[in-house]
Amino acid sequence: MFEITYEVVVFILGITAVLAAFGVILCASPIYCALYLIGNMVCFALLFLLFHAEFIAAAQIIIYAGAVMILFLFIIALLGGAKEIAEPSVQRSSAFAFVILLFGELLLAAGVEPTRPITGDLAPDVINAIGSAKAVGIELFSRHLIAFELASILLLIATVGIICLAKYSYLPARKPSK
Amino acid sequence: MWDDILQFIDPVLNAGFIISTIKAVVIASALLGIVPALVWLERRLMGRFQVRLGPNRVGPFGFGQPIADSIKLFFKESIIQSSADKFLFHLAPAIVVFTAIVAFSVIPFGESVTVFGEEIGLWGANINSGILFVFAISGMGVYGMVLAGLSSNNKYSLMGGLRSSAQMISYELTLGLSALSVIVLAGSLNLIDLVDSQKTIPFILVQPLAFLLFFIAGVAETNRAPFDLPEAEQELVAGFHTEYTGMKFAMFFMGEYINMVTMSSLVTLLFLGGWNSYGLPLWPILAFAGKVFFLLCVFIWLRSTFPRIRYDRLMTFGWKILLPLCLFNLLVTAVIKVLYFPTGIL
Repeated sequence: MFEITYEVVVFILGITAVLAAFGVILCASPIYCALYLIGNMVCFALLFLLFHAEFIAAAQIIIYAGAVMILFLFIIALLGGAKEIAEPSVQRSSAFAFVILLFGELLLAAGVEPTRPITGDLAPDVINAIGSAKAVGIELFSRHLIAFELASILLLIATVGIICLAKYSYLPARKPSK
Repeated sequence: MWDDILQFIDPVLNAGFIISTIKAVVIASALLGIVPALVWLERRLMGRFQVRLGPNRVGPFGFGQPIADSIKLFFKESIIQSSADKFLFHLAPAIVVFTAIVAFSVIPFGESVTVFGEEIGLWGANINSGILFVFAISGMGVYGMVLAGLSSNNKYSLMGGLRSSAQMISYELTLGLSALSVIVLAGSLNLIDLVDSQKTIPFILVQPLAFLLFFIAGVAETNRAPFDLPEAEQELVAGFHTEYTGMKFAMFFMGEYINMVTMSSLVTLLFLGGWNSYGLPLWPILAFAGKVFFLLCVFIWLRSTFPRIRYDRLMTFGWKILLPLCLFNLLVTAVIKVLYFPTGIL
């Protein structure tokens, strides 16, 4: 009984996420595209929450929906959110080919092996501990330590690169008259 | 199909569901009711600070003033200029109020009490990563301001919205990192556990620097003076809500005041020991309310004391002073914790 309603909720959220993703690529106005993307991310956070991954859900909202998408909106606001006009071009048709390719890949991936349920001790406190910040932290800092540290170095390099690119010289545009 | 749905609803309509519904209604209406009281308090206190009387004509001590103001706002004409994006224009104030109320839903304000044989916790929801939830939802509140700035089709609104997003992102880091040093000490993200770990001594005495940083960042997060750059009157008319009138304008104010209450509650929970009264004969809920009230007065006090700081200095202050201090504090706290209190402090 509970399983059916749970699965219905998961299904509705998944459908909403897919519809929001379609909204991102089909909407003409960049502001609404960004809003659809935020909706997509919120749906994912809710899905994580349904799968008992509380910490990941919070992190998803804080980092992606809260910080990254604000920067997207920031840039759209600075560039002006004018509507894009659809015009046929080579890039457009090649994009469609790429989409079809990706769908084929998705079908292949789905057909590799049937999904398996998680087995083992599934007491409520065990399930609750899976998604906690402690569990995620222990996993990150033990089994995935090298990957984690490499990612942090990559982020540091990106930060230094951004500062180098964005730094402008303070030389006066015009030489001061003598 | 229908049997499934009925079977699902049947156990849902038990005591737990009813209690949660009542809690949600009480918290939301209490928050909305607190706003006019806070506006009155702010105007009276500001009057005192500036050696004048403040509102004192409508009712005793001017108590009727907020009621008169809200009636005025309700009946004002709602003007939307034709070049605005109608949908986003309506959505923006709704986001601000919605996120403000939802963020408060995980704030606990006392230990659980037993009423009619049911144990009722004095909180909306007790979730494991409570403090992360507050940060996540209040971070979503920025969208209200940014969308208000974007949809108004007005350059001053746009600048206000941009400033608010930049300011909120910058100070959210300080807010999160200074809260993290307390979380490291307590070893939990749950707000009730955080309060319980302050039974003997409040964290403000252990982490005075983190308290100061958290409070400064909290003032900046709620867009209060001296950090009210998004709506700097002298340079941006009224910032992101320039084009708003009537009730939609009032909703931005409701969001701001509810955020003030949430921020004061967070400071109380993290640093002032929540509902622990440390020997004073007080009900836990009164101890909590008293601390929050004191912090709200400090918010108003700050507003009437400090001039607004310049935008570039605000950013410099956030990134070059507050953030390094936060990281340093966190590092020292973590080292001390690992070396001397590996099993938990206090």
